[in-house]
Amino acid sequence: MHIPDGYISPETCVVTYAVAAPLWYYGFKKLKEKLNEETLPTLAALSALSFIIMMFNIPVPGGTSAHAVGAVAIAILFGPWVGFVSVSLVLLIQAVVFGDGGISAWAMNSISMGFVGSFVGYYIFNMFKKYKFAPFVAGYVGILASALVVGIVLGIQPMFWTLNGHPEYFPFGLKVAIPAMVGAHLIIGFAEGVLTQIVYKFAGEKNIQRMAV
Amino acid sequence: MKKKLYILLGVLIALVPLGLLTDAPAWGEWESDYFQKVLGFVPQGIEKIENSVHLKYILPDYSLPGANDIVGYYISAIVGALLIFVVYYFIYLMVKRKKA
Repeated sequence: MHIPDGYISPETCVVTYAVAAPLWYYGFKKLKEKLNEETLPTLAALSALSFIIMMFNIPVPGGTSAHAVGAVAIAILFGPWVGFVSVSLVLLIQAVVFGDGGISAWAMNSISMGFVGSFVGYYIFNMFKKYKFAPFVAGYVGILASALVVGIVLGIQPMFWTLNGHPEYFPFGLKVAIPAMVGAHLIIGFAEGVLTQIVYKFAGEKNIQRMAV
Repeated sequence: MKKKLYILLGVLIALVPLGLLTDAPAWGEWESDYFQKVLGFVPQGIEKIENSVHLKYILPDYSLPGANDIVGYYISAIVGALLIFVVYYFIYLMVKRKKA
C-alpha cells in the first residue's frame, strides 16, 4: 500500500500534503497529550509492531503480495489521532531509511494507511463494542478502507495526467486499481483483524478504559 | 499489557524472515520493467524518478547491500524498531520539558 515516488502526480502530492499538514499538526498535539511515562513504552511498542508487521509480506492471488498495517490497534487503544500520527511516523522512517513508499507520497500514504485506517477502524470498533470480535471487525474493515482510498488515488492518475496519449504516472484506471487493492486486502484484512484482536486482548478491559480517556 | 506486547514484538522480529518467502511485489509497487512488459512503455513520471533520484537509502528495501537477504532483513527490523523507540523517546522528552 506504500505508494512510491513517481506514481502520483506532483499536483496530487501537493494536495495530499496540504490536507495532511493540519491533520498532522492536530494529531501531534493529541499524541503529546497522551504521551507520558506510563504510555511511552506501550505506544512505542505498538508503533514498532506496526513497522514490523508491515515487513510480513503475505502473497495474495494475482501475483502480488500485501501486508497488515497495525493502525487500528493503536487507534482503538489510544484514539484515532494517535493511530494516525504513529503510523505516519512509521511511514516516514520507512520512506527515508528503507525507500519503502515515496517521500513525495508520504502525505498520501499517511492519509490512507494512517488516517483512514485509524478513523474507520476506531468508529467500527465503537459500533460493535458490545461484541467479542469488535477489534477483529474493526481491523478488517479499517485496512479495507485504507486499500480503497489507495485504489481511488492511484486509479484517478491516468484520468487526469497523460502525456502524448500515454498515462504520465500510475497507468491503470479505477476499474483496475480499486478491485486490485480492495481484493488483495480482503485477505490481508484477516491479518489486520487478528493482530488487532490480539493486541486488544493483551491490553485488558481496565487498561483500555483508562487509556481511552 | 506491556510485557505481553514486548513478547509479541520479539516473536515477530524473530520470525520476520517469513516476510521474505514471497518475491511477489505489492500491487502498485513495481519495478519499472514491469510497466515495460505489461504496457510496452514506462510512464514518464515513473521513469523520470527512476533515472533522476538515485537516493541512497541506508537499508534499501529492507536489505543491507552486500549482505545475505535474511541478515539484511533482521538488521532492518531491529534498526527500524529501535528508531521508532528513539523517536518516541524524543517526543516524550519534548513533552516532559514543556510540562516541567
